[in-house]
Amino acid sequence: MRREENNKVLVIIPAFNEAENIVHVVRHMMEEAPQYDYLVINDGSTDNTPDLCREEGFHYLDLPINMGIGGAVQAGYIYARKNNYDIAVQMDGDGQHDIAYLDKLLEPIICGEADIAIGSRFLEKEGFQSSATRRMGINILSGLIWLVTGKRVMDVTSGYRAVNRMFIEIYSKDFPMDYSEPEAIVSAVMHRGRIKEIPVQMRAREGGVSSITFKKSIYYMIKVSLAILICRMGYGVRRVKRENG
Amino acid sequence: MIPATLRVTLIVAVVCYFIIILYFLKNKALNLKYTLLWLVAGLVMGILVAVPELLVKIIRIFGIQDNMNGLFIFAIGFMIMILLSLTSIASRQNQKIRTLTQELAILEKRVRDLEKKDAD
Repeated sequence: MRREENNKVLVIIPAFNEAENIVHVVRHMMEEAPQYDYLVINDGSTDNTPDLCREEGFHYLDLPINMGIGGAVQAGYIYARKNNYDIAVQMDGDGQHDIAYLDKLLEPIICGEADIAIGSRFLEKEGFQSSATRRMGINILSGLIWLVTGKRVMDVTSGYRAVNRMFIEIYSKDFPMDYSEPEAIVSAVMHRGRIKEIPVQMRAREGGVSSITFKKSIYYMIKVSLAILICRMGYGVRRVKRENG
Repeated sequence: MIPATLRVTLIVAVVCYFIIILYFLKNKALNLKYTLLWLVAGLVMGILVAVPELLVKIIRIFGIQDNMNGLFIFAIGFMIMILLSLTSIASRQNQKIRTLTQELAILEKRVRDLEKKDAD
């Protein structure tokens, strides 16, 4: 495969009430990977996340209302499409995702080996593995996605992903809203996207509170399973035809 | 046969119903698109008040023995349909608001960038 070096890469960093982390995350990104563009998406935060972005002179989108992670990330994809980026990367604004793995994540996309690369913490089982119950939940969702699409993805809730131009177009027009990480995988398989998982290490959150608390997790599992099934149903029996063969 | 006084009450109710809808329409508080449904519902109610035997016949076709039960089943069924369509309208509006919000944020960044360029 031809290797193109001049890909325009945009790192999308959704942030909802991430005042404790966002400055550190973006500064770290600017130091470690200054060759890539980034865009913080302030998802209608109620704390001073947008003020921090303005003071620091970050590149950021300021969504006037809170839309949830799906709506925020999609805003990034729309921005990427309008500004002709070749590759878009999703990276959480809470410091869980290590910028050091960005190049590894980009590699299969740049080489044309995959349309979507997902940073997976379960391939080499290193770094922060999250709790046993949560891993079990992720395994169940992974099994469900395998059942409905035939594609096995280990870390279906990982929000650390890179996609090529084709999926920037697709996601900017149609991105799952409610539980976007697992649903986006279903949508990708149905669009005949080639998905590759890349082993990465993740850290526990550096500050703030995760959006999913333990109490809500059973309810979460039911809703996500349902969302996956509905998402799969939305595509009918056959996969969407690929435009460029 | 329903008593004459009940019939008069029902006719007055249906007339009030139409007056309210027309009032809303006049004040543009309802889109015509969504009003059609309510107008049709009013029309059906009007017909049933005028010819109550029709309702009994329809209810028998569906195999329901009790007239009042039949009436309630139809009324509840109709309301469920309306609720469903309202949920669907809300979802579509949600989708539109999302698109608008995203576009607004992208434009806002563009304005910010242009202002910065201007200042430099």
